[in-house]
Amino acid sequence: MIEVLGVTKSFRGPGREVRAVDDASLHVGKGEFVLILGRSGSGKSTLLGLIAGLVRPTSGSVRIKGNDIGLLSDNSLAELRAREIGFVFQFSGLLPTLPALENVLVPTLLCRGGPGTRSRAREILARVGLTEREDAYPATLSSGEMKRVAIARALINGPSLLIADEPTGDLDVDTEYEIMDLFRQLNLEGMTIVMVTHNPDLACFATRLYVMDRGKLGLEPGPFPAKDREPGNAAAGAPDDE
Amino acid sequence: MNDRMSLFPYILAGLRNKPGRNIATAFCFAFIAASIFSGQYLLAGAAGGIGQGISRMGADHLVVPVDYMALMGGRGPDNTIPIVRAEPSVFRFNRSIMDTIGRARGVSGMSPQLYVTTMYVPALAPTPIDVYGIDPDTDFTILPWLEHPPEHPLASGEVFVGHGIKGEVSSSINLNRHHYTIAGRLDPTQSGADTTVFLSLGDAYDLAATEGTLPASAPRILPGSVNAVLVRMGPEAEPDVVEADIRRLVPPSSAAVIGRHFSLDPVSRDIQDLSGVVSAISAIVVLAAFPLIALISAMVAHERQREIGLLSAMGGKRRVILFLVLSESLVLAAAGGIAGIGGGLLTIALLDAPGFLGNAVPVTFIMPSAMETLVLAGFAMSAVVLIAVVSSLYPAFRISRMSPYDAIRSGG
Repeated sequence: MIEVLGVTKSFRGPGREVRAVDDASLHVGKGEFVLILGRSGSGKSTLLGLIAGLVRPTSGSVRIKGNDIGLLSDNSLAELRAREIGFVFQFSGLLPTLPALENVLVPTLLCRGGPGTRSRAREILARVGLTEREDAYPATLSSGEMKRVAIARALINGPSLLIADEPTGDLDVDTEYEIMDLFRQLNLEGMTIVMVTHNPDLACFATRLYVMDRGKLGLEPGPFPAKDREPGNAAAGAPDDE
Repeated sequence: MNDRMSLFPYILAGLRNKPGRNIATAFCFAFIAASIFSGQYLLAGAAGGIGQGISRMGADHLVVPVDYMALMGGRGPDNTIPIVRAEPSVFRFNRSIMDTIGRARGVSGMSPQLYVTTMYVPALAPTPIDVYGIDPDTDFTILPWLEHPPEHPLASGEVFVGHGIKGEVSSSINLNRHHYTIAGRLDPTQSGADTTVFLSLGDAYDLAATEGTLPASAPRILPGSVNAVLVRMGPEAEPDVVEADIRRLVPPSSAAVIGRHFSLDPVSRDIQDLSGVVSAISAIVVLAAFPLIALISAMVAHERQREIGLLSAMGGKRRVILFLVLSESLVLAAAGGIAGIGGGLLTIALLDAPGFLGNAVPVTFIMPSAMETLVLAGFAMSAVVLIAVVSSLYPAFRISRMSPYDAIRSGG
């Protein structure tokens, strides 16, 4: 599903060039749950941005479902993101003046031909356990509920890939595990997930683990508990469905 | 209910997010719209008043039989009121003199008037009334004084009556066995016109020929004879030059010229100067508004970087982001513009009610018509919309070009 080959991303810092990602290569197969672990400032969010097509590489190539994002126009890249990728960030980014259901529907503004509808939004809210909270405004939701709404919003257009950037970074341990359980269930249903975190305790949820340190990406050898899970989950290295 | 989210609810949700700031922004737009609209509205009202004032000033010159001037000792009437109607006299000349007057430089219009008689008709007025004949095709002194514009030119059998004459429009009056229908009533002129009945010249000759209309001792009124020719000058003409040229052309033994001794030109010029001042103030308001609104737009764009970055990450194309940011600005401009125009209208109405405007402006203030008001409102709305688009274009363009990655990471 995702091929990252020798990717480098440099930023111009004061007086010097900073390599946030240095010659990273990565493979994400369909149905995998890939976790990228690293400390703050290690470059893991930049790598995630490269994988999601939010940022273009300085060198190397990133392929999403066969599309080399370096060759796509900005509009084509935006369409690819709208159709294929759902995003969950550490901040929920919910509009405080819209109830949960309407917040879930926001991406339908941007993907007119997609599957996102009001009834589907209700189904997804039910899927993330918020059936009773669809009319609730963000101010009345707990942190965990807001995160669930954000996850539902990421799923509304029926993406095949879920990108999560420190999605549990601001949650207490119990809520963090609730959210990770939700990710695991989604993964078990076939959703490909790539997530970055600084919390090594979450490694148990991954089918494949990468570690990022000062821009360098390394594959952590297994085994991982999640790799040998129930059907629905493709094992690491499963063939892509490009 | 829409199955998908549409743009407008999203825009409204964005605006509701920061109500204080957005109300303040809308207030800025309202202030701009109110300034532009009220200024232009007051100018239009003052211009309407001065326009009516000028049109009601009547003639610039009065050409009368020389015998009449001789009777007045060569001075003519103290002509410091508008020349609306010729003085009643029995001295007449043939209206063919108009061919000569018309050749004078600077003459743009002429109209003859005939004084028929003065009669006492208790049913029409407690005092004697004058009866005049006018030429409906060339008249330019009586028509501007009508309370309401006539639906058609004065026809045979119809009359215009002065403010002091009894009778409603469409009712009949009787003058020496002749029946006429009142086709229009004049506003008060504070002159003899207030107690005058104006007929068409043809009807005037018929009435004059009827026994009992003129005193037995009075000279007969022959068809074609008139008491005066009222003359209007062209806009650039000099009164003295026109008067001298008429004097040069008409035989001094037959006619004399009486000029007007006052003018509304200075007031008109003041109003035009005022128009320039108001337009300059409007321009300053607009120019001052641009950076202010641009600053607010830039602030809003900066504040919403993360939200916009998120939208972009979710697949929002640059033009959609641009459209969203501009749309919000446009909605605020539209709301502010409508509020400003409404507020401006309300303020003017409140000021106008106790007559404050009439006292402040040296001419009658005439409210612009509904159509004129709509045009002025459209102008003010266009101005605020233009300000909204131009001032928010750069911030919108900048944020739409921003990398979603940078927007998400750096935004608040």
